Formats: sequence, structure tokens, C-alpha cells
Amino acid sequence: MIKKIILIGALVALSSWFVSSSVALDNSAASKTTEEISSAAKNFLSLLDETHRAGVVYKFTDEEQRKRWSNLPTTFVKRGGLRLGDLTKQQRDGVQAVLMAALSPQGYQKAMEIVEGDEVLKKNDHGGPGRPNNPGGASMFGHDEYYISFVGEPSPTEPWMIQFGGHHLAINITLAGEHTTIAPTHTGSQPATYEFEGKTVRPLGHEVDKSFALLNSLNEAQRKQAILGSEMHDLVLGPGRDGKTIQPEGIKGSDLTDKQQEMLLDLASEWVDIMPEAAAKDKMADLKQHVSETWFTWSGPIEKPGFAYFRVQGPTVIIEYAPQTLGGDPSNHIHTIYREPGNDYGTKWWTR
Amino acid sequence: MVDAVKSGFRRLLVLLACLALPHGVVAHQLDEYLQATLVSIEPEGIRLQMNLTPGVAVADKVLVLIDRDNNGKISTNEAAAYAALLQHDLAVQLDGRPVDLKLNAFNFPETSELKTGWEMIQMDFSVDHGSLGPGAHRLKLENRHLPAISVYLFNAEQPTSKLIQISKQERNKTQSVGEIEFNYVPLATNSKTVKYLASATGLIFVLAVGIWKAVSSRRST
Repeated sequence: MIKKIILIGALVALSSWFVSSSVALDNSAASKTTEEISSAAKNFLSLLDETHRAGVVYKFTDEEQRKRWSNLPTTFVKRGGLRLGDLTKQQRDGVQAVLMAALSPQGYQKAMEIVEGDEVLKKNDHGGPGRPNNPGGASMFGHDEYYISFVGEPSPTEPWMIQFGGHHLAINITLAGEHTTIAPTHTGSQPATYEFEGKTVRPLGHEVDKSFALLNSLNEAQRKQAILGSEMHDLVLGPGRDGKTIQPEGIKGSDLTDKQQEMLLDLASEWVDIMPEAAAKDKMADLKQHVSETWFTWSGPIEKPGFAYFRVQGPTVIIEYAPQTLGGDPSNHIHTIYREPGNDYGTKWWTR
Repeated sequence: MVDAVKSGFRRLLVLLACLALPHGVVAHQLDEYLQATLVSIEPEGIRLQMNLTPGVAVADKVLVLIDRDNNGKISTNEAAAYAALLQHDLAVQLDGRPVDLKLNAFNFPETSELKTGWEMIQMDFSVDHGSLGPGAHRLKLENRHLPAISVYLFNAEQPTSKLIQISKQERNKTQSVGEIEFNYVPLATNSKTVKYLASATGLIFVLAVGIWKAVSSRRST
């Protein structure tokens, strides 16, 4: 109950942020069916002229577009689809409706906080107007630099994808009738903490807090298993590593107490719950079923503020969290990835 | 010409972005060469898949080893020569014996893209180990390529074949050295069917001996 009140409060607060921003937010988001999601997508398409429409919908067989995502700014890795900065207010509202339909309320909130963080990065660190070394302002960051595209025609029954992303965000939602996955999805943040209208925002703050809570719950022997002796400098399964699964390591779920297993699942839910409620519920049930075979791995400092790498890996999910020292403070620049072994892009539902 | 201007502008943007960072915070990745190796072990062979990303501040140090004629383009020969240079710096051992690598494929971005510090070179090597015998094995990789500017990642890919089972993975602190212990249980020694066949063959043999003895004793009587 308290969680719901906090969530609603956060959504109401966020709605005021984005009214004047790229994508508005209201608090009416709820679990949506594929039919409702495809309906929102079709409605968005109806707001576009022929040229724009042709630029946003790719064939479902377009493997190049399916895999065209990155943690990098769009200046360096071009995204397909339509740039938010090129859309009208009405069309942006259409994008908002698609995202609110396709993501959970907390998933939508996380995505928007990452986007807003990039706007902060643009204004504060990288060439905001008036900076002596970049007086014109750079266009590589900020909420105009996010793209939306569909791979396949929106459909309640046939497989298709929604892609929304830019710097530090790549949401790849595959819908195939009753099935939904966000694998692979990249979230990131820089700055990892920022102030917005008097409030402190941490787009990936829960991930850090929950990972440290789990680490701190481990006894000495468990820590010896969980903590690697080597440095992890980046994501192992970041962009370009589709379909790969690495050897699990660290501490196995079967060596955790019931309470620690719950904490591990709760940590994973920070990624899983980006999906619409029904899909997330199924995925969490799946994770719970395999929790004994799910591993937790840690590399780096064991004290906050959190510039340590960690990984959650089970038969049906791989999650990595990798602080980046680009920018100086690793706790302020984060990359993460969510994958499903054998089911990136929902391939098990549509490949033959 | 337009491309050259665009790529020059892109590089300038990166440098400006770096310069725009608060004083003293520029570190890592800008000045490091990330070499990430994924080791795939399957009954058909062992492969090293390497993603190599030079940061913007060290890209020139890497590029000078690739674009030998400094014409701004990476020819196939130059790419192959760099692959050979890298290969020379990779020491691989299987069960304590040095083994050779064979280059399968490589992919190089444009020099202008490499200079931005965001793009990666990809290399795919296979380990030339002959046929893999059944039982326990240990693979060791030591990456000695450009250690002064590099950081490393070393990971075993989860085998797709159930005939290979990875039992242990070890690395040094920097991950420039990694070792993987694995077991190979070939089909012939793994299959339940084979075990059943062996049992059945034994049974038939015993029965045959029994029948032969019975027939022999009748004849003698």
C-alpha cells in the first residue's frame, strides 16, 4: 500500500515535469494488453504524414534495424525511426501514449527520468549555451535526441517491436500476441543523481540500494563466493552481444537463504517491472521458479556510493550493472543491460 | 569531402564534450583501450571473439598500428596485419601446451569513427588444438596487447552443447590473464544408449557362452 502511494506520488510529481518537456505523463497508466498497445501505436501512426510513417515502420524481418540500438549518443550511433525533436506536440503526445501503454508506470517513470537526466547532462556538463568551449550548445544530448520506431506493423496477434531510445536508453519491446519481452533493454544514467525542481532524482537508485542491501545481507562465506577478484570494466553482454550467454559465477541462489532469495528477486524486479504488469508478473514467476539456479555476482568496492559491478544471472534472465569511470565518478555514470538467454527480441516466440 | 568534414566535426564534438567535463574528472575509457574477449568452447572448436574499443585519447596510438600508410583508410592488408600483431600478443595454452590461433574474421570501422573513441574493432579467432580428447581440460589466455593503455575483460560463453561443461573460471585482477577449466564428455562416452548397448552386448555374450557350453556338453554326452 505504501509502495503504491509513493508510486502515485512520484507519478503525479513527474507529470508536472514533463508538461513542458518532450513527453508528457499522467497517472492513468495501467497494465495494457497487446491489443491496447497496438491500438496506441496505430493511433500514433495516424498522426503522421506518409513520409514520416514510412520512416518509423520497418519490416519485421529487418534484422539491421532490430539490432540498431546502443548506449551511445545518437550522434555516434544513428538510430532508425523518428526523432522526438522533429515531432509536433500532438505527435509527441502520441509517442507518450505508446510508451505508457507498452511500459508499466514504474517502467515509464524510469525511462523518463533517464531522458530528463540526459537533458541535465546537456545543460550542465556538455555544451550548454554560454560555455566557452561550446557556445552554441551541443545537440548530442537532451530529450529531443530520442527516437521511436516500430519493427513490424503494430498488431494484437502478429509479432512486432517497439523501439524507443537514445543516449543511455534502449527499450526494445517485442510483442507476439500474448507474449511480451523487453530483452534486450539497456538503461543507463549520467548523472546518476540530479536535482530537478527541488527534488533529488536517481533514475537507477533502487537498483543500487537493493544490490547493496543484498550484498550486506551476505555472511563472510557467502561474500567470498559472490565477490570476484577481478575488475569489471564494462558490461560483458552490452550492445553487439545479442544471443550470447556467459558462464554464471558468484554465489548461486541455492546457497542463499529464503530472505536473500527474495532480495535477489526484488533486485531483478527493477528491470523486469519495466514491462507491462501482466508480462512482468509472468517473468517474475519464472524467475522465482528458477531462483535456486540464479546467481549473484559482485566486483568492486563493497561500500556505497556504488561504483561496483554486479550481475544477476539465471536460466531465463541476465542482468548486468556496470559503473563507468568516463566522467570521473563511476557512481555517477551507469550502464545496465537486461537480457533473456535464448529469447532476445522474443525469438523463441516467432523463429522457426 | 563532405564525409571528411562530417567526421572531423564529429571528432571535434567528442573532444569538445570531453573538454566540457569539469576539470580533473576526465579519466578512463577516454584514455584506455578496452579489450573484451568472449571464449566460446564447443565440441567443434574453441573461439575467441574480441571486441576492441580504443578511447578517444588513445585512439591515435592504436590507429598508428593499423593505418600504417596514414592515408586515413584501413585497407584489408592493414587490417590483416593488425590482426596478426594482436594475434602475436595473445598467448594461448591448452592443458599447459601453447596452441596457435587462426584468424576467422575481422571488422574494422572507418578511421574517423575509431578516432571518436566510441567504435569497436571486432576479431574472431579459433584455437588450433586438433581434436579435443575426452576428459578435463584447461584453457589459458594471456593478452599482452598494448598493456600500457589497455583494460581487459575475459569471459567464458556458456556452451550450447551439453557435452562441454565449464567447471571453473579464473582471472587475474586486470583480466589480462584468464583460465577456464572444462570437461568434454563426447557422445560415445556420454550416451545412455551406448551404455545400454554395452550392457546388452555383455548379456548376449554371456548367453552365447552359456548356449555354446550347453551345446558342447550335449555333444560330448
